[in-house]
Amino acid sequence: MIRFDQVSKRYEGGHEALSQLSFEVAAGEMAFVTGHSGAGKSTLLKLIALIERPSHGQIVVEGQSLAKVGRGGIPKLRRRLGMVFQDHRLLMDRTVFANVELPLTIGGIAPAERSRRVRAALEKVGLLAYERQLPDSLSTGEQQRVGIARAIVARPAVLIADEPTGNLDPQLAVEIMGLFAEFQDIGTTVLVASHDLPLIKRMHKRVVVLDHGRLVADIPGEEVL
Amino acid sequence: MTEKAAPRSERSQARRFAGWREHHGWSAAASLRRLGGRPLGTLMTVAVLGLALALPLAFYLLLANVQSMGNALGQNPAVSVFLKTDQAGAQANLLAGELRGRADVAAVTVKTPQQGLDELATLQGFSGAVHALDDANPLPWVLVVQPRTGLDAAAVDKLVESLRGERAVDLVQDSSQWRQRLDALLDVGHRAVLVLAGLLALAALLVVGNTVRTDIASRSEEIGVLMLLGASRAFVRRPYLYAGIWYGLFGGVLASLLAMAIELALAGPAAELDRAYGGRLMLGALPWWLLLAVPLAAAVLGWVGARLVSAWQLRKAA
Ligand SMILES: Nc1ncnc2c1ncn2[C@@H]1O[C@H](COP(=O)(O)OP(=O)(O)O)[C@@H](O)[C@H]1O
Ligand SMILES: [Mg+2]
Repeated sequence: MIRFDQVSKRYEGGHEALSQLSFEVAAGEMAFVTGHSGAGKSTLLKLIALIERPSHGQIVVEGQSLAKVGRGGIPKLRRRLGMVFQDHRLLMDRTVFANVELPLTIGGIAPAERSRRVRAALEKVGLLAYERQLPDSLSTGEQQRVGIARAIVARPAVLIADEPTGNLDPQLAVEIMGLFAEFQDIGTTVLVASHDLPLIKRMHKRVVVLDHGRLVADIPGEEVL
Repeated sequence: MTEKAAPRSERSQARRFAGWREHHGWSAAASLRRLGGRPLGTLMTVAVLGLALALPLAFYLLLANVQSMGNALGQNPAVSVFLKTDQAGAQANLLAGELRGRADVAAVTVKTPQQGLDELATLQGFSGAVHALDDANPLPWVLVVQPRTGLDAAAVDKLVESLRGERAVDLVQDSSQWRQRLDALLDVGHRAVLVLAGLLALAALLVVGNTVRTDIASRSEEIGVLMLLGASRAFVRRPYLYAGIWYGLFGGVLASLLAMAIELALAGPAAELDRAYGGRLMLGALPWWLLLAVPLAAAVLGWVGARLVSAWQLRKAA
């Protein structure tokens, strides 16, 4: 569950990146955030992950008010989130397996359990055969799928993704979005930022539209044509 | 209690602890691998540390040897009383008898001019000169006065003064005086070694700190990813702390090895010196506990350096 309540964000020395934004994504729901470049999509996701703090307003994630999370509490909150980035952010000097394993190591999960969960996550994104390889030897689409496996391996309640298909050709992009929809099916709250309108339209999910930091439209999935 | 019956929180705590321990092991191994991954840089850092830490050890070694030499030579602080050359053996024995009666004198040995010449001849390089003197011995009678043991410096001074006052006496040489001067000098030396050790330990701290700083800077991307995945500062820091420990440990081991090498190199000349002084010298060696303590202390130093730097550098990471 994600709730924004009159949230504004002004970067130091900049104009308002988000203005009085209010919306809620229910537990187990999937939604897209869209808008042209500079609309505030990335800023919105950064606020959820506590990479940035809001200037005004309140954000609640999984029942936790983020204003009450201090510096020391940030790691714990992030462990409950899955994050996917446009540039995948894999560690290139570790194998695919080790990359996907990271959140579990950080979470202090025992080795046997880790191994089992990493394999399950890699299986899910169809890359189990590549577990011993370095990310360098994979295609961009495969790297992005490793990034997704890493995001979901610790079974987060909330999955956020910033332009996860930005570097992919349309066919791969559809596959990746399909993966996100599958995670929603097993109860994960999914919020994906993307400016790729044709792709979003194919998914028939809720769409939150931003323009210059303001919410200008909130379209339910069944109305997306 | 069976495992199943254990409370959930207790079990999860045990699991967390196992994970924590495992990450320590991983961090120790991974940091060692990374050090091995760039052998030249690692070697240079370790060499600088080793040299910096070996320096105070070398000075300590030098002091210990001078001290043991002083101990060996100064075991019986004797006062040599040179009589005027016009004094004959009879006067020498008379004065010796008088002195033996004093409360502050333990013993008096009378050395004839011939004995003095013989002694001189045994000293290296003097035999030729002594032969030239063979018929005309210019050496005086000498009384070697042993002050009573336990006499303090002031009382020895008083004894020396009264000896100087004797009519037959030409010159009084107080060997306990050089001993006092040597002790004062050694005291200064020990303080200097402590100061030096402190300064070089600080230098070692800075060297490790700077190396770890570069390590962290070159891995800022990885650190960023770990933080985004919810790693705590302690988790992120761990491999770098181990790197600091490894640098310190290896530098300390190198320092101990260097000190042992110096000791070995000095062993030859020291034995020579030993023989020249008639086997009275006991040349001190570095104690084994010090050779062990240096790597351990250096490892702690490395940890501290890495800890300070990583705290500073990860301060802004979030
Ligand atoms: N770190 C930052 N400092 C200052 N301004 C920023 C920063 N990040 C983003 N912005 C500004 O905030 C606005 C929203 O940016 P962003 O959230 O990245 O938009 P989007 O992801 O929709 O392209 C833009 O005008 C951008 O220039
Ligand atoms: Mg963006």
